[in-house]
Amino acid sequence: MISIYHEDNLNLLLNLRIKDANMGNADEFKASLLELFNTHQNKKLILSMADVEYIDSSFLGALVAVLKHTITHKSDLVLVALRKDVSNLFALIRLDKVFKIYIDFDEAFAQ
Amino acid sequence: MNSGPYKILLVDDDKLFLKLMVQVFRKSGFDCYEAASAEEAIMFLDRKDPPHIILSDYDMARMNGLQFRSFLMQDEVFKNIPFVFLTFFSDSDLMIKGLDLQAIDYIIKNTPVNVIVSKVNNILLTVDKQRELSELEIRKAANSLNIKSIPTQAPLVADFTINYWHRAYKEIPGGDFIDFIPVDEQYTFVVLGDVMGKKWKAWFFTFGFLSYIRSAIRYAAFNQEYSTAKILQQVNKVICYDDVLKDIFSSLSLLLIDSGTGRIVYSGAGDLPLLLYNAAQNKVSTISSSGLLLGLMADGSYSEQEIILSKGDKLFTFTDGIIEFADTTGKKSDYNGFAQQLQQWLSNGEGFAKIKRHLEQEQDNQQIDDQSIISIYKDQG
Repeated sequence: MISIYHEDNLNLLLNLRIKDANMGNADEFKASLLELFNTHQNKKLILSMADVEYIDSSFLGALVAVLKHTITHKSDLVLVALRKDVSNLFALIRLDKVFKIYIDFDEAFAQ
Repeated sequence: MNSGPYKILLVDDDKLFLKLMVQVFRKSGFDCYEAASAEEAIMFLDRKDPPHIILSDYDMARMNGLQFRSFLMQDEVFKNIPFVFLTFFSDSDLMIKGLDLQAIDYIIKNTPVNVIVSKVNNILLTVDKQRELSELEIRKAANSLNIKSIPTQAPLVADFTINYWHRAYKEIPGGDFIDFIPVDEQYTFVVLGDVMGKKWKAWFFTFGFLSYIRSAIRYAAFNQEYSTAKILQQVNKVICYDDVLKDIFSSLSLLLIDSGTGRIVYSGAGDLPLLLYNAAQNKVSTISSSGLLLGLMADGSYSEQEIILSKGDKLFTFTDGIIEFADTTGKKSDYNGFAQQLQQWLSNGEGFAKIKRHLEQEQDNQQIDDQSIISIYKDQG
């Protein structure tokens, strides 16, 4: 579901390998991402959502829960490569103000 | 009840027998998936789309049926799939071991195949019935406690007409909630929320959110402080400090109708922008709020805005289920598409009853979440 693309001292770059992000895989996603965070010294998570074509509110809830957890531990969850439909949904419900969102890993890395 | 054909996973290393079983079950209307070993079955199983039942041989090389069942029991999703052993043995020790692993039944392999199909059909019908009964029990309990997340009727407000429509996803109550709170003859609050998640899990939390919202509104009304933004801020703060609601988030549209002045005050928390139909211009436009989802962070950046409706104008607030649908290419979320659709309906002079009918006509298999919509019409009067 989540694969590690690259890791350095501060960041963990991840690819989310699902097309349909929904209630059926939200819990597993949340648990996997939290485990990656906890086992990689609370590094900043940079998650590519390039494969995600649809996302439902359960999965958004899982993303937000992980974001809160990372912030509590003085780190962050950053999103990259959102498809147009997903990006539009984030903007509609103001999640674009909550998450740092970049075009790709390079842009996220440059910040 | 299951709407489509039942999906059965048949597991057996006797390829001839497996082929025969696939033929027979297919003929009886099942969607058949086959695996020639337990390992192959494990590779096939998908948590997002599990079969309705597994029929597995006991005596298989490497991983036998009992080991296969033990493996499935460790998984939250797979352990709930009804599991039936097929065996040549009528060994009571084996049966006890299997029952310890919550196998539903045993079928001796030389049982006539039509009897095997009947047995499987009976098991699936019993499982369906049991599920329906469990849901009925929860519904009864909720009804007897008089806890409702959707009201039974819209309030009467001078100079306005309020309507609403709600459809639960797969007929199971979910995360959407609606409330109308008349404070006095002048003020009425309209509440539309959506707890993130689906079905019972989300439904359970709607009452926590609703309780806080109702309390905050009553408290504000008691102090004659009619600020929707302040109410949201207060609700959000309490939710952020409530451990039971940790990691549970909800959108909310909160509107206050002031029938004395004819104005509507609106604040939103991670909700979809409202749609406003201007009758004079025959045009639908959006009204966005700034607030973040309830429960996300203590400072939710809530603001409020005043909306003045002229005669014939119509205001709509709705949850994401209204803009989401599934078609042959997959699931979609299309806010602009719904806005255009609404524009067309309203341009044709269609009232809420007709809009409701359009929404109801959407096929069950296209619906992918709870759907709720509230309309506030300024009377022509």
